[in-house]
Amino acid sequence: MNFSDETLLAYLEGNLDEAEARAIEDAVADDPAVESRLMALDPFAPVVQQVFEGIPVEAPSIDLPTPTAPQSNAGAFRLLAVAASVAVIAISATFWATRPKALGWAEQAAIYQSLYSPDTIADLDNSPQKLDTQFAQAEAQLGRSLNRDVLENLPGLDLKRAQVLMFKGKPLIQIVFADAQGAPVAFCVIRQGSGAPAKDVNLAVLSGLATATWANDGYGFMLLGSDAQTDFGSELSVLTDAFTG
Amino acid sequence: MSTEQAVRSAIQTHSKRVWRFALALSGASDVADDLLQATALRALEKHHQVTSFERLDSWLMTICRSIWLNEIRARSVRKAQALSVTPEAELIAHNTDSETNIFATQVFTEVMQLPEAQRETVMLVFVEGYSYREAAAMLDVPIGTIMSRLSNARQKLKTAMQHDVADCVRRGGK
Repeated sequence: MNFSDETLLAYLEGNLDEAEARAIEDAVADDPAVESRLMALDPFAPVVQQVFEGIPVEAPSIDLPTPTAPQSNAGAFRLLAVAASVAVIAISATFWATRPKALGWAEQAAIYQSLYSPDTIADLDNSPQKLDTQFAQAEAQLGRSLNRDVLENLPGLDLKRAQVLMFKGKPLIQIVFADAQGAPVAFCVIRQGSGAPAKDVNLAVLSGLATATWANDGYGFMLLGSDAQTDFGSELSVLTDAFTG
Repeated sequence: MSTEQAVRSAIQTHSKRVWRFALALSGASDVADDLLQATALRALEKHHQVTSFERLDSWLMTICRSIWLNEIRARSVRKAQALSVTPEAELIAHNTDSETNIFATQVFTEVMQLPEAQRETVMLVFVEGYSYREAAAMLDVPIGTIMSRLSNARQKLKTAMQHDVADCVRRGGK
């Protein structure tokens, strides 16, 4: 049913009989467009709004406990995020323009990881609920277990987040940790498909980060340190044992 | 941004709105101060429940109202449905134009003297700009109830405004 502005205004001013008012209320309940029209015509709303909008004059003070996670300066962090995305674009563009050959997943993941700083991971919410969701999502994409119990108990590393990335249509999971100094360390897993060759552990410095890569059973794995000097110790053997396919 | 950061920033961004709603619920600015503080702490405790950073404002309003209903109203002095005294009219910002002030104070007083259900609905829809649908969801009532509360509130406001405008016109000699 179509109501004229006059009819809607008469409703708002209380000048319609009960049946007419009911017809309008039913139409509003059925159709958000009628609701918007009616709200826009309401002569009372702006009057009341104007009276109340100046109250309170000053923002009231609130006592909040200090943040649980170490909080970086939000402004600086945003700037860092912008700088990081600009850097990603710049680096990707440079690589694309000068590419000697197509980059493999490990090189790409290392470039991405090299942009991480302690600030990037300082504020991540790694509550069990959050990790539950992330791991469920990541494992569903990947089609295999991520051995979360192993990842949560790596010596000297605090599990921060698992996130789903994509590399040429293949799910690439990045799991990030903070080391004892709060620096970011990552473990990546990519689904390469059943035909992919198995590879023994290979150590290399990629994009300024120490890395260890290996592959088996159609999955590729990579551990990335916080810098070129990171000396993988027991965590590498724990991971190669846990991710044998 | 973590959910905790998002909730912290929403608390700061919407503190005036939550306080205003708390004032309308309780009718007293000291209770509104307490309600806002309790709302902020409760929201922070529950930040893990936040799944979307959109509409954190209505989430805060809902928490505020639930603390009012479940924890504060019962022990608040003003138990009556409608606030019996003229509450906090000095909160109205004073304009240089005294007729505007008289009118604003009149509207403020009328809204604050509405029965609680109409008062909270008027605040959410007229003042905070929520749609009828959104207000219905926040107050957990059918949309028809929102509309009939607003209709009843309009009738009361209309009478008051007409008197007041008539007074102003008479005194202004226009």
